[in-house]
Amino acid sequence: MSRSGDDSPPQPASQAGNERGQTSTSDGECQNECECESESEYNHERTLPSPDSISLNTELRHWLDSHALALLALATAAVLAVMLYLPTGVVLVNAVVEDGIPTLAPFVDVLTDPFYFGILADVFADPLAIGEHLHALAGWLAAISISVGLEYRLPVPFVQFELPIPWVGVETPGVRQGLFGFTAYQAALSTVASVAIGLPAAYILANYEFYGRRTLRSLTILPFVLPGIMVAVGFYAMFGRSGTLNTVLGGVGLGPFAFVESNPLAIVILAHAFYNAPLVARITVAAWESVDVRAVETARSLGASERRAFRDIVVPQLAPAVLTGALLTFIFTFMTFPIVLALGGLQLATVEVWIYDRIQRLDYTEAATLAVLETVLSLGLTYAYLRYESAQSGLSQAASPPPKEALFPDLRTVLSPRRLAILGYGLVALVLFVGPLASLVIGSLTDGSGFTLRNYAFLLERQLEGESFQTQPWPAIRNSLLFGVATLAVAVPMGVVISVLTVRAGRSGTIIDTLAMLPLAVSGVVFGIGLLQGLVFGISLPGGWQFQVTGAVAIVVAHAVAAYPFVTRNVSPLLSNLDPAMVESARALGASRFRALLDVELPLVASGIVAGAAFAFAISIGEFSSTVILASGSESYTMPVAVERYLGRRTGPAIAMGTLLLCVTAASFVVIDRVGGRYEL
Amino acid sequence: MRRRTFVGTLGGGAIAGFAGCLSREDTDDEDENGDANGDPNGDETPDPEPENPDLEGTLEVVTYESMVDGDNPAGPWLKDAFEEAYPDAELEWTRLPDQGINHYINSADQGESIDPDVYLGLNIDDLVTVDDNLSDGGLFRELNTGRIERSGRIRDGLDMGDPHDRVLAYDTGYISLVYDENEVDEPQTFEDLLEPAYEDALIAQNAQTSDPGQAFLLWTIDAFGEDGYLDYWRDLQDNGVRVLDSWNDSYYGAYMNEERPMIVSYSTDQVFASAEGHDLSRHQIGFLNDQGYANPEGMAIFEDADQLDLAYAFLDFALSNDAQAEIAERNVQFPAVEDEHVDLDEEFDQYAYVPPEAVTVGYDDLRGNVDNWVDEWAREIASQ
Repeated sequence: MSRSGDDSPPQPASQAGNERGQTSTSDGECQNECECESESEYNHERTLPSPDSISLNTELRHWLDSHALALLALATAAVLAVMLYLPTGVVLVNAVVEDGIPTLAPFVDVLTDPFYFGILADVFADPLAIGEHLHALAGWLAAISISVGLEYRLPVPFVQFELPIPWVGVETPGVRQGLFGFTAYQAALSTVASVAIGLPAAYILANYEFYGRRTLRSLTILPFVLPGIMVAVGFYAMFGRSGTLNTVLGGVGLGPFAFVESNPLAIVILAHAFYNAPLVARITVAAWESVDVRAVETARSLGASERRAFRDIVVPQLAPAVLTGALLTFIFTFMTFPIVLALGGLQLATVEVWIYDRIQRLDYTEAATLAVLETVLSLGLTYAYLRYESAQSGLSQAASPPPKEALFPDLRTVLSPRRLAILGYGLVALVLFVGPLASLVIGSLTDGSGFTLRNYAFLLERQLEGESFQTQPWPAIRNSLLFGVATLAVAVPMGVVISVLTVRAGRSGTIIDTLAMLPLAVSGVVFGIGLLQGLVFGISLPGGWQFQVTGAVAIVVAHAVAAYPFVTRNVSPLLSNLDPAMVESARALGASRFRALLDVELPLVASGIVAGAAFAFAISIGEFSSTVILASGSESYTMPVAVERYLGRRTGPAIAMGTLLLCVTAASFVVIDRVGGRYEL
Repeated sequence: MRRRTFVGTLGGGAIAGFAGCLSREDTDDEDENGDANGDPNGDETPDPEPENPDLEGTLEVVTYESMVDGDNPAGPWLKDAFEEAYPDAELEWTRLPDQGINHYINSADQGESIDPDVYLGLNIDDLVTVDDNLSDGGLFRELNTGRIERSGRIRDGLDMGDPHDRVLAYDTGYISLVYDENEVDEPQTFEDLLEPAYEDALIAQNAQTSDPGQAFLLWTIDAFGEDGYLDYWRDLQDNGVRVLDSWNDSYYGAYMNEERPMIVSYSTDQVFASAEGHDLSRHQIGFLNDQGYANPEGMAIFEDADQLDLAYAFLDFALSNDAQAEIAERNVQFPAVEDEHVDLDEEFDQYAYVPPEAVTVGYDDLRGNVDNWVDEWAREIASQ
């Protein structure tokens, strides 16, 4: 079966050493190792052409087969160099070069400024005075006191009873956290909240069957595309003193409660969970649906309890996905902007707020310095996580997810504790996720005197009678969908290639993977200004040449650069779960690396690819700054750009446009999931 | 200027949509700089009036989004009326890029050519930013007001104070408080806001990111001086002021959902509130110290404007009776000209309030200071 000559294709430098075992798998060796079990599996998938049918055409295909990965990797590298490293480099270089001379002074200034680093600034200022610092730390630790109390009381309707909520009070002596300290603190809290809210959703979506489950799964990442202004207004409309929740509670004689005012930090964290819990849920569902649970049965038959089997077999397969979700949440909320200002106010400012301000004031040195520190921190965390992920060696050979139970088979089960907990969670999800969106839609349909359609009439009128230089709804929708689909088509191959090349490739693979995550780890404000200075204004080359990149294709590529990390992060955990012996068998049987990928691995991780594709589409739809910067004319506007442009002293038209964005995106997600679902096993 | 465009081969033809990937410019295109640039010390009148002004061609005007895209914007009316007045001319709107004036400062800094002829919507602090980052009196031309007949109609208080005479006001807004009379009494002075009656009552905006936010901050600097304003803000913080982000989310998010009974906003608030059918008791206008902070909006001509004569014509046209009324009513701002040169709807007069006294911090005071003021203020509020 194996055709001679192509089993060990010459590997490009970037790929060398990425195969497991780091040596090129020689024919005989592997055939001995992996027996016929995998061979037969491979044959099920595909029949190889007989040797006599080889023509020029097939030779070309053949060549492409064996070089496809290398070509894709090169194309990915080229795209990243132009659309990511160049623009960010143009700005970040300001941090280390002043007037053409390399310097570290900006870093010293920032690191030793208590405004940025709080008490750590003293440590940075004099790192060698260790005794002094330890003394200060000991004094601080000694002053901490922890108390458990029933601090908050929630009145229960209709009965004269107040539900005490246990609350752990930690009294710490005042510490100046600094901007970085506070930013990390709120990001950590947001991450905990997002995981806590996202995991139950993943559990329900992956383990129970109910009407609308697939649609719900498609819609999970809807919050991801919403412009910040809409989430802010939506949250106020839901949780405000005269908002929807208080109106509902008022109906049963409660409230009104000052949800936002009484604890702005809690509302900011909830808003972060609104964005990121769905992310955690979506990544985890994808992993859960490709879990190989056959080993659970084995373990059960050997006497393991259900709980024990879950802990030893399912949890290790889910852990990389959950941790990925947590990592992404931490990075996103670390760089949060502008939602934290809109709900929390300047009192809760984060580092990104200051980067934006420095850019506004054309102080690129300090902006770049802050951004570099942000990126170093994000990439450091990413690296630490990826070391863990690549150390996982999976044994999964097939996507064999747990069978789904009916959620509510009969009335009796509804009252079981587990079902009641699910119902309770559903209520929380309804308030947190549906609430703000529904309040927003209601807001677009009402004004001071009640129901109105004038905001939608505005959109219709602008579409039908608008001047050519005005922003119209339909071109915005069309451009958004076109860019979204094109982004998906570019980002999915890019993301998969990075996954394949880096999973199980040891330390070098981890480093490449970490660097490939840069789009997530670099400040959005800096990336935007970098696109402007590096690509739109262009770079002068020797000989009077000018290098410039703008236009629709540039927008798609920029979106793809922002989006492919999501594909990688959805696919990599699943790939690392796979039993590597399967690819080796396929390779031993004559399949090129690319063929093995297409025919063996990808079908097994299809749920991750579909999730990644949905994320890619969502990123493209939601992306604002790179779109307006690269559009440079006014023709290539998208839906969020239209929302922004309709925002005036009256927000009604903008909110109506946002509602349109919501509907179009929701419909698209359902379509993507349905189409993608065909490829899932 | 000749510009050759080459399409590279990156990605095998996939870059057909890139507009100019590699291009080469002739280097002798810097000829316009210098000669027309107004010299404040020179005796010559800048831009002397030509005998036969060239009023033919396309005038490119850059302006903010709500002038073109908002609800009932003034932009389309201005375009039609201008083209009617100058039949050989076409007015082309350009949307202000996301970075605002910084976009043009960066362009000028990097030697990029600037396409628009006129900038509509310039603030005083924009000019300060220009002069802090480019040369003094940069980016825009010194205007020959002799060529703008109607410039004499502009009200006295609206001289934008530019020592290089680059800008003329075309409208103005006033920052004031908007409050709910069912919950709080009208505060009379800044000190009133520190009283227990106004504890946890006020919403302001971030001066780093929001125009009304910065205006309110400058207003407190006008009231308490450079040395006193931070103390005042510390007291405001003790009394529970909330500093939110933009005007939009603070007003439509927090204020309209009754989070608090008072917000820093515009004195034209009731024009919108009555049009939307809201109860006006939640939309009372409060002028602290009987003042409002004036934010005049100006227009200017770019240094390298191709259509100089049309640009002058446009500036004059924007101050005409009809244009002033349309801009004011559609933008919901006040006209820049004296009352006898503009006729406004009664509705506008009824709901748009003018403060007894207008204050504004002028160019000279802002220059070299505004960034520090805002920064010190923001560090005070954000200190964790």
